[in-house]
Order: sequence, then structure tokens, then C-alpha cells
Amino acid sequence: MSILEFEGVRKTYRVGEQEIHALAGIDLRIEEGEFVAIIGPSGSGKSTLMHLLGCLDTPTEGRMVVCGTDLSRATPDTLARMRNREIGFVFQSFNLLPQLDVVANIGLPLVYSGVPRRDQRARAEEAARRVGLGDRLANRPPQLSGGQCQRVAIARALVNNPRIVFGDEPTGNLDSATGRNILTIFKELHAAGKTIILVTHDPAIAAEAPRVIELCDGRIVKEAKA
Amino acid sequence: MLGVVLGVSSLIATMALTRGIEEGMHIFMQQLGGLELVKVVPNEPSSLMLEFANLSPGLTLRDAHSLRNSATLISHISPEITHTVSAACSDAGNSERRKARGILPDHFVIGIHGLAAGRWLVDLDIERGARCAVIGHTVANQLWPGTPAADIIGRTILLDQTPFEVVGVLPLYEQEEDTRARQLGKKPRARRWDPFRQKNEAVLIPFSTMFHEFRSGAFPENSMDSLKLDALTVRIGNLDHFRAALGQIRSVLDLSHRGVDDYDLETREDWFDRIESSVRATRLSGGLISAISLIVGGIGIMNIMLASISERIREFGIRLAVGARPRDIFRQILVESMLISLLGGLLGVGASLGLIEILKMISPTENIPVLTTGSILFSVAFALASGLLSGLYPASKAAHLDPITALRYD
Repeated sequence: MSILEFEGVRKTYRVGEQEIHALAGIDLRIEEGEFVAIIGPSGSGKSTLMHLLGCLDTPTEGRMVVCGTDLSRATPDTLARMRNREIGFVFQSFNLLPQLDVVANIGLPLVYSGVPRRDQRARAEEAARRVGLGDRLANRPPQLSGGQCQRVAIARALVNNPRIVFGDEPTGNLDSATGRNILTIFKELHAAGKTIILVTHDPAIAAEAPRVIELCDGRIVKEAKA
Repeated sequence: MLGVVLGVSSLIATMALTRGIEEGMHIFMQQLGGLELVKVVPNEPSSLMLEFANLSPGLTLRDAHSLRNSATLISHISPEITHTVSAACSDAGNSERRKARGILPDHFVIGIHGLAAGRWLVDLDIERGARCAVIGHTVANQLWPGTPAADIIGRTILLDQTPFEVVGVLPLYEQEEDTRARQLGKKPRARRWDPFRQKNEAVLIPFSTMFHEFRSGAFPENSMDSLKLDALTVRIGNLDHFRAALGQIRSVLDLSHRGVDDYDLETREDWFDRIESSVRATRLSGGLISAISLIVGGIGIMNIMLASISERIREFGIRLAVGARPRDIFRQILVESMLISLLGGLLGVGASLGLIEILKMISPTENIPVLTTGSILFSVAFALASGLLSGLYPASKAAHLDPITALRYD
């Protein structure tokens, strides 16, 4: 069974009198353990698609099933639960909380999944070690380099052991060497059995992915499988 | 937050102030004999009863006996006859007109009298018609200025040239205000009405002595039992049965006076009610002022929280993205705003301690403010409640953020 299943998904925004079809009918299936890159020019709807895939939003029309749960008409609480347990997010701008140290940032999802406080710390430290940040636990994000910040974000995405990891231009703010390192981490995760979905406009990164989905004007225009 | 500090401190100060007034009033009531004191005084019968008013023997010692025997809810009773005498000391001082009162020993219990020196009048004095007297502070001070109370005991006071031995001196009764004025070396303010005047100017002698020395000659046909009393003071045993006790007194007296209403019951109830209602009014207005400043403080907290959440929209976006539910965000904001109000409240408690010290020095009332833990807890709880209420709107605003917009927000 597919881990992500979209059938005729549309997303329409209203700006004044005008209706903008950000997604104009998407049919898509992603199986568990796949490595997918979504590419397309800006305004093609790839961000909107990723927000839907990442359970940050619900579609205007169509059916959307994530990890076996139909989320077409889900409440904010159900969506929050999915984001917390099944999905890990890595953002272009890292999105870490500057006032918290590395361990607290990584442990943030555990705060909202009812894990006891002592276990939170142990699991956050373990996740930090997995991305090679074992010696930076007490630092705060402003004291870290871009690559380190992105590792913290990856550790945070992994701490609750989700089945899907999303990357929204995860290398966009990094130099190419660091970007390659981060990409390597994603590949390792893929090898470990996670489903990886990257949104990017960098063809070099897309080339690393076995499956590439190209969007334009809210539709899938090209799909390539290696 | 300043509003919360002001609100809490003024709330605590107001409560301490009214508490002080209440306690002062309480002591004052006790010194006056308390609520338990009821005075039966002779009164003109109403016009309806004028025709057969002479059927009533009037207020007499017999009433005292029958009340003592029949009115079970009263604990003490003392008849009183007064006679104006000239009081002088044997050592040729100035004499002054004083109202001497003939009483029974119960009088001291009923009036809650203290004793500066000596003893009260006892039953033996009454039985023997002894020529002894207990005098008030003002009387003693006028006759023997500057002499300590203990040295006055045993001296002789001349009442209408009849020598009496002073066996007891009452302490000085004065209001809190005057005590402090005296301690500061200022002269007490002259006042029109001194509630303790009767106590301070007392010349108390045994009831029987009063009758034999001063009153028997006036109406030769009078026996001690049929002599018209000037008053009959009664102490109610238990205030819970105050109304019932008044009823008992009325039914006993109605019987012995053959239904003529030639007496009146004077109670302190109305008076004390008035005092209590003025204390209540003070408390209410003070509380209102504090409540208003707490509301203002709450609005201040709401502004702080609204400003803070608009600076932290991205933070909420991140929290929502990693799985925080709207209610988690809601709770976070509420806890934060309550922490702010708690901090304000604690600062307010600190400020109130200083405020009360200042109030103690320049107290606008005659009583020292009394601080209670209850009032502190109440005020802090009130501050917390205002923090909770003012956090509700910002919290719901933050909880209803759209995660995508919040994440993109700069």
C-alpha cells in the first residue's frame, strides 16, 4: 500500500475576486522507502504540493491519504498528530528556535508527543549523535554554522522516528560542499528505509533522486524514474 | 504589569486597612460593653396607655428579681439608681458635681469593666450597705491629680459630705486615636461626644448604700423594692439568642408592668450595624479601586502578550510544524501571561509591605492596618485570575495561526 496517495487533488486560493489554482488536479502515489525529488519553476505549485504532502494544509478538492489515514477533511489536531509522529520536516531556512539550545531544539517534537522529560533529553542527544553533533549539545543555533544548523534540523526531523522526511530546498542556504554533505545524510536515511521527498530547483540534486516529478502550473508535467 | 503591581498592593493595603478598622471597632465595642449589653430604661407610656399608666409600678428592683428568675437567656443583671452628688476629697480639694450610681456587682461584668487598682464592689458591700466606692479615672485624677491609682485605694471621698472609702479605680478608657495623640505628647482633640465619658467619670457605690444614704428620705413611703430605678442593665448570655432574649425580657416586664409600655430597651445593635456598614463601604470602595487597577493591569498584560506573539509568529509556526496542536500553543501563551501576572503580583505584595508601613505612620483612620496571609493569598489569586483572563485573547489568536503563513513570516 502506498504511503502517500493523492487523487484529483486541487488547491484553490482566493485573492479578492480572483481564484488562483495552485494545484489543478494532482494524481500521485509514493510508495514507502522511495526517494522522490519534486522540481519545477517558482509558481509551479511545488511548495503548495509539499505543504499538502507534509500535512500542513488540507486540499480544497480531492482525496489525500497519508500513511493510511484519509486527511481530506482532517481537523487541525489530526494534522498536528500526523506532523508530529509520521513526518519530519527540514526547511531551507532551518527554522530553529534561537533561544533554545541544540538538545531542546531537537527534542521539540517530543514535547508535543507526550514523551517523559527525561526520555526527551536522552532521545534528543541520541539523534544529535546520529547526525554528528554529539559535541555541540549545549550550543544555541546562532553559534552554529549553516551546515550544523541543518544537521540540527535533520536530527529534529528524525527524533520521533517518522516514516517520511521532507526537505524543502534543504541545501538552498548552504555552500555546495556542505550541501553535498547534507544530501549524503538524506541518502543514508533513504538507505535506512525512510521515505524521502525533496523539493528543489537544483537539477544537480534532482539528478541524485531515483524518481523525479516535475510540476508546472499546478500539474505534473513530467515524471522520470531511474 | 505596573498595573498589576499597583492593583495587588492597593488591594492588600485596603484589606489591611479595613481589617485594622474592624479590629479597632471590635475593641471599642468590647470596651463599651459589647453587643450583649442591653439597657432597660423607664419611658413615658404611649398616649393610648396614659389612662391606666398608674397601674404599672414602674421599673423597680422587683423587675430585676423577676428577670433574674424568669429570663433564662440573660446572664447578668444590675439595677441602677443615680443621684447627683458633690464629690470632694477629704483633703479640702475642690468639689465637683458627679453623678453617683448605685449598682450591684453584676454591673462590672455587664459593662466589661477593667480595674486599674483595688477591687470591684462585692455582694458583701451590698448586704452591709457599706460606704465604699469605685471611681473612674477622670474622677480620681481630678480629686488627687498625679497620684497613681494604687495609692488612691483606701482614701476617703466625700459624697455630699458623707465619707466613702475608695476601694477601686477604673482604668482610663480612651479611643485609639487619643492614645496615640497622648503618646506623641499632643493634647487629645476636644470632642463633642466621648463614648467613654460615662466610664471615666463613674462614681459607683453599692445599690443598698445609695438607697439608704441618698434616696430613702426623698420618698418615705418607698421601700427599696418599690423604688423607681433609673435603669436596669442586662447582659445577654449568648448572642445567638439575642432576639429571643429581648423577647423574654419584654414578656417578663410586660407582666410585671401590667401591660403598660413605660419602659424601653436600648440595644447597641443599630449602632454597631451602622459601624459595620461603614466598614463594609470602605472595603467595597477600596476593593473597587484595586479591582480597576487590576483590570488596567490585565489590559497591560494583554498588550504585552499581543506584542510578544506578533514578534514570535515564526516560533509558533515552527512549533506547529513539528506537531504542536493549537491547544498546546494556547496553553503556552496562557501560562506565560499568568507568569507575568504572578511576577507582578509578587512585586505587588512586596510593594504593599512598604505601603502598609507608610500607612501605619500616616494612617488616615484611628486604627493600625492589620496584614493577614489571607488577604495576600487573595490578592495574588486575583492577579493570577486577571493574568488568565487577559491571556485568553492573545492565546486564542496565537493558537489559530495558520502554520504555513506563520512559517513564512519574517
